[in-house]
Amino acid sequence: MIPWKIKPLTLAALMTAILLTAVSLYAVEDLPAFGDENSAVNKHIELFRVDADGLVDGLNAGVLPAEIKNKTEKMGFIKGPTCPGCQNENYPTLEEGNYKIEYIEKGTRLGGRLYTAGGWDVLIHEGEIFYNELQRYYFIEEREGKLIVYRYNWPVRVVEKTEEETAMINSVTSGLADYRGYDTMGEETVILTGALGVILLVRRRGRL
Amino acid sequence: MTPEIKAYKRNIIIEVTTNLMFPLTLLFGLYIMIGTSGTGGGFQGGTILAAAFILYITVFGHEKGREKMPESVNALFKSLGLFLYNGAGWICVLFSLAGAQWLNMPAFWPVSDFVGVAGARSFLVGYMVSVGIGLTVMAAFVSQYFDLAWKEEEEMESGER
Repeated sequence: MIPWKIKPLTLAALMTAILLTAVSLYAVEDLPAFGDENSAVNKHIELFRVDADGLVDGLNAGVLPAEIKNKTEKMGFIKGPTCPGCQNENYPTLEEGNYKIEYIEKGTRLGGRLYTAGGWDVLIHEGEIFYNELQRYYFIEEREGKLIVYRYNWPVRVVEKTEEETAMINSVTSGLADYRGYDTMGEETVILTGALGVILLVRRRGRL
Repeated sequence: MTPEIKAYKRNIIIEVTTNLMFPLTLLFGLYIMIGTSGTGGGFQGGTILAAAFILYITVFGHEKGREKMPESVNALFKSLGLFLYNGAGWICVLFSLAGAQWLNMPAFWPVSDFVGVAGARSFLVGYMVSVGIGLTVMAAFVSQYFDLAWKEEEEMESGER
């Protein structure tokens, strides 16, 4: 028995307000940390593993071993014209002089990303002809006598992993409502708030 | 008010065409809105749904438009959309007993037991998140059109013409 009188509508509005406040508090508390490399977005994907015997010296000397190079190019790396008569595709090639290999110590923080394991970064010249930039493409890690080759490239990773992780064919939908769901919720709130503002402004007859 | 001073004249061609087009446009809007594999999503689907109602109001006038989309239903849809989106997030927290994060779709086990971990994300995004966005967008557009549309009786009362 409630000692004071309360309308059902007021009770419903109160519960709604409490629920929405709880949502906001929960969302703020539970947001994944920025730069969390174990979050689904920032993981790099593993391409393949090869035996490490004898290849480490070549990597330290700055030369990509032929085994890794051939295997990477076989995985769909476009080099040269794709059809007779076409122009060369502007894709980075793994020819010598086109790439650079750097050893990164464990625990280095580079580009907002913490390296939890030491390894070799393969940087490739990519981009326009006159403004050529070195871009991080592959990461090679030595573990238990094997060389593990990763690729970190966010768009390529999304295209390859979207269907496996979210069962959506359309990667735009998964980006909009799944990976960036908080953003879309805010957009919808903006639309609702705009509509409410228009209602409050327009429906004040005689009070302007 | 006598029928003679009504501002619009009845045109049988326009009215029949609108009666034909109205449900088809609604169907097309639902087709755009629901699901994840098509081109489009909540925002576009909601806009097409709103376009159907705006066509109807334009042709049949303010009062018959209010019969199709009453103010109470409009206000309900406007907030229900946001509640569907937030509910898709909350339902994951509730069903995992606060073990999962907000909007962590696979934690909604009644669905993910059925269609798999990846399928649950697809299901919730396609049928709760997109529909929620679409309902809010539709109700916002329609309510703004109702507010800004020229209302005959009000201006006759205040004598602005």
